[in-house]
Amino acid sequence: MAQPFLEVSGLHKDFGGLTATNNVSFAMGRDEVLGLIGPNGAGKTTLVRLISGILRPDRGSIRFKGKNITRKKTWDIVNMGIASTFQNMRPFRRLPIIANVMVSCLSPRAMKRGEWVKKVEAKAMDALEFAGISDMALEKASTLSQGDLKRLEVARAVATEPELLLLDEPFGGLSPAETDLMAKSIARLHKGGRFGRLHSEGPAMIIIEHKLAQLMKIVDRIIVLDFGNIIADGTPEQIVENPEVIEAYLGEGEI
Amino acid sequence: MGLLGVYFRRTVTILRSEVLVLPSRIAVLVFIVALMALPLFTQDYYFLRVLILTSIFAIFAASWDLLSGFTGQMNFGHALFFGVAAYVTALLNLKLGLPPYFSIPLGAVGGVLTGLVVGIPCLRLKGSYLALTTLAFPIILTGLVFAIPDVTGGELGLAGLSRLTGSRVMDYYLTSGLMVILGFAMWKITDSKTGIILHAIREDELAVRTSGVNTTRYKLLAFCMSGFFAGVAGGLYAHFMRLAGPSGLEVGLSFQVIIWAVFGGMVTIYGPIAGVFILYPLMEVLRVALDSFPGLPEMRMFIFAALVLLTLLFMPEGLIPWVRDKVEIECPRCKVRNAFNRKRCRVCDAVLD
Ligand SMILES: Nc1ncnc2c1ncn2[C@@H]1O[C@H](COP(=O)(O)OP(=O)(O)O)[C@@H](O)[C@H]1O
Ligand SMILES: [Mg+2]
Repeated sequence: MAQPFLEVSGLHKDFGGLTATNNVSFAMGRDEVLGLIGPNGAGKTTLVRLISGILRPDRGSIRFKGKNITRKKTWDIVNMGIASTFQNMRPFRRLPIIANVMVSCLSPRAMKRGEWVKKVEAKAMDALEFAGISDMALEKASTLSQGDLKRLEVARAVATEPELLLLDEPFGGLSPAETDLMAKSIARLHKGGRFGRLHSEGPAMIIIEHKLAQLMKIVDRIIVLDFGNIIADGTPEQIVENPEVIEAYLGEGEI
Repeated sequence: MGLLGVYFRRTVTILRSEVLVLPSRIAVLVFIVALMALPLFTQDYYFLRVLILTSIFAIFAASWDLLSGFTGQMNFGHALFFGVAAYVTALLNLKLGLPPYFSIPLGAVGGVLTGLVVGIPCLRLKGSYLALTTLAFPIILTGLVFAIPDVTGGELGLAGLSRLTGSRVMDYYLTSGLMVILGFAMWKITDSKTGIILHAIREDELAVRTSGVNTTRYKLLAFCMSGFFAGVAGGLYAHFMRLAGPSGLEVGLSFQVIIWAVFGGMVTIYGPIAGVFILYPLMEVLRVALDSFPGLPEMRMFIFAALVLLTLLFMPEGLIPWVRDKVEIECPRCKVRNAFNRKRCRVCDAVLD
């Protein structure tokens, strides 16, 4: 049998007495766009942080393209092709926006894949162009609005030209118009192709999002987490009709 | 004329288009020219001695800024690099008879290795833990220095190193020339791609890691580079004073460098250099001035501290950034700096206000 693109098995993480992810297992294919939903505190952020190497699991393993990446350094995981964004944006506040993205462009992966690009600045500019904030390239990151900070997160991740992109609430805090724009950018990215000096592999994605109506439009499949457990896994249509999911969301008023 | 004329005209063009357009660059040019021309007007032995030490400490202060200002790795024991390099230089000179142009670079290599030794345990530390650990290193080493007096000379240190150069004027040109060159080199580093990564580590280390950059490597690089420049200063000091002793490791020196840098303006490289050029000679002037009044010399530290505190109260970013923002304005469109009296940006022609 062929190796799954990403295979998470028995991933377990406790914070003190609290179980954030409880023996989570799933696999996904190279071209999939996977939605990850669940009530607040369900362990979604923890799960993607385990995959991106920011957190170390207590038990379980993560395999990416057949290689075991459990407990690898975050930068090694990024350079293997897994990029991620932060739910609470973490820009380099006192640096110009272009310099924020140049850091990713200076990663070994981006440098190797962009060997033909003479100027790192130019590639960073194209990543900003893709994210729609190139006109603010020289401003300090501290001057950006919430929406533009989300876009900066995406620009930074995209600049490493990932094969798997982990987006933690990319629509969080965005206006409806901004949400539409972001959804379009994500769909465009998944199609792949060239954006100036920037190349998109058409990455597989895991998208954490509360705005379900928007999420449904861009994902092929949804996993539902509740108290660290996967309680449902299926197409968007199956998920909205799943009684257990509706139960978990009761009181949240989201669906 | 011919070739010389071409070079002359090119120099003039660069001066006019790159240097004379900005007050801060004119200031740097005037400073360097004054520094180089000074011995033409006075060769007073004591006066040159003060300026030589000023140049040495300016290199030292800038090297602290490279590590603690730019990379955000607060070093409260920066004297360690200075002291270790001074001892290495002294040992190489005294035991192996190496002349200064070998012993000082090798002493600086000692500074680099010290950077590694300190950097590795500090990799996982932040904030007050990092500050305390870095503070501890030179104290531990001082203990070691007293424990093996056969090698280190104990309390008295190692004396009798060969002179830096043949004359005081030559000493002056060597140290001030090196200060200009190394200061420029450090500024260039902070202005490079490596510099962007160091800046970013100061801002948010985790976000640098998720950008695919090996932060361990860059943090160690910052420790080593800083150790190198501080080491050159330590080696110059040892040869100039003809002595390497435990005072080069003192907590007082580690704090002094922070005061100089913060006073002049952190995260600039030139700020700490200016800080030393103002505060070190001032301290000497105070010493001489107060010496003739009985009871007053003890006031020296008090006056010094009050002056620094007052400055920082009014200029929280330090002296030089405050002055710079008075004489220059940033173009709102292209972010290039302009002289304060310009109406339009010198690069993009946007209206300045
Ligand atoms: N670093 C941490 N230390 C302690 N508890 C944490 C930490 N991160 C998350 N948690 C806890 O783990 C649970 C899951 O959090 P998280 O993964 O952020 O949930 P979600 O993203 O689904 O809202 C929450 O109860 C949260 O309080
Ligand atoms: Mg979350």
